Amino acid sequence: MQADKNGIIQSVKTVISQALRVDESQISLESSLIKDLGAESIDFLDIVFRLEKTFKIKIPKGELFPEKLLTDPAFVKDGRVTGAGIAELKARIPNSRWEEFSKNPLVANLGDVFTVGMIVNYLCEKLEAVKR
Amino acid sequence: MKGKIALVTGGSRGIGAAIVKRLAEEGASVYFTYCSSREEAERLAGSFAHSAGRVFCLPCDVRRPGEVQKVVEEVTEREKRLDVLVNNAGIVRDGLFLTMSDEDWQEVLDTNLGGVYRFCKAAARQMVLQRAGRIINISSIVGELGGLGQANYAASKGAVNAFTKSLAAELASRNVTVNAVSPGMVNTRMSEAVRSAYGDKIKEKIPLGTFAEPSDVAAVAAFLASEDARYITGQVITVDGGLGLLGRR
Repeated sequence: MQADKNGIIQSVKTVISQALRVDESQISLESSLIKDLGAESIDFLDIVFRLEKTFKIKIPKGELFPEKLLTDPAFVKDGRVTGAGIAELKARIPNSRWEEFSKNPLVANLGDVFTVGMIVNYLCEKLEAVKR
Repeated sequence: MKGKIALVTGGSRGIGAAIVKRLAEEGASVYFTYCSSREEAERLAGSFAHSAGRVFCLPCDVRRPGEVQKVVEEVTEREKRLDVLVNNAGIVRDGLFLTMSDEDWQEVLDTNLGGVYRFCKAAARQMVLQRAGRIINISSIVGELGGLGQANYAASKGAVNAFTKSLAAELASRNVTVNAVSPGMVNTRMSEAVRSAYGDKIKEKIPLGTFAEPSDVAAVAAFLASEDARYITGQVITVDGGLGLLGRR
């Protein structure tokens, strides 16, 4: 499993390096896609396309990066993610830094949550589910 | 264009066929789609046996998402890339608005606008991945000026222009350019009815005094597909002999 995870981490780093045009040496599991690596909205799509191709999987819209959720008034109010929004995000992306984010749930801070490690965790679970 | 892979929708006749010819002459491998006449399409593809680039035809109704996806997948699986997409497939169902049927409205929008949407959606993914691409949408001056009896056609082409600009903004960071070519009156089978009914009247309004040939439009499309146009995106290039200048008066 660890060997598999190492392989996934390496492939994710390669994908992110290609999509964001950053050197792989700058990418760590803790890197925030937006704050540290400069990702913009189309970059998230680019990453999803490349992950699908690399891992030969389908990633349903909004499953990895729940962008639609952030325009839903039930989940976002006055630039802050509501309690219901945080609960929804936790359910969709269980392995992320939600405790930290909940202290000051500004939409602008969501970039901190979208990390390389989050993608790796998502893929580990997804690929495990595919195997099953 | 040598070594480039191009896909032209509605390429078996008229402007589409001229674009296929031009790109193939410049050395591209060209795949084109046809909707109705397989025989005509295969004859056209066969006529390029001695041109610089290879030419292939594929059946596709641009209104059907599954068929569009299949065409793009076939090209990208065979060639491993797609450099140029020309959205040319289009129809007219002219008629005065008050008597226009819902079917004529829907069919024109679904083909002329829906077809562009579907092919862009299918092809843009590959272009984003390869970080390069040229999308060229064939519009019409009617999309800007409007036209009597062409509410459906004008709406579809005006929408294509707006779509072109929006998509250009979204894909620019991936080195994918999106432009439109907007012809005026062109000598094609599609415009035959209008030309024979109002030909002389229309010619009087064209400062250059003649109708365009399909090759005039193809030349602009080929330029937009070329490396020379690498810094042009989100533009609607009018090829109308100046018709639009007087049309605004």
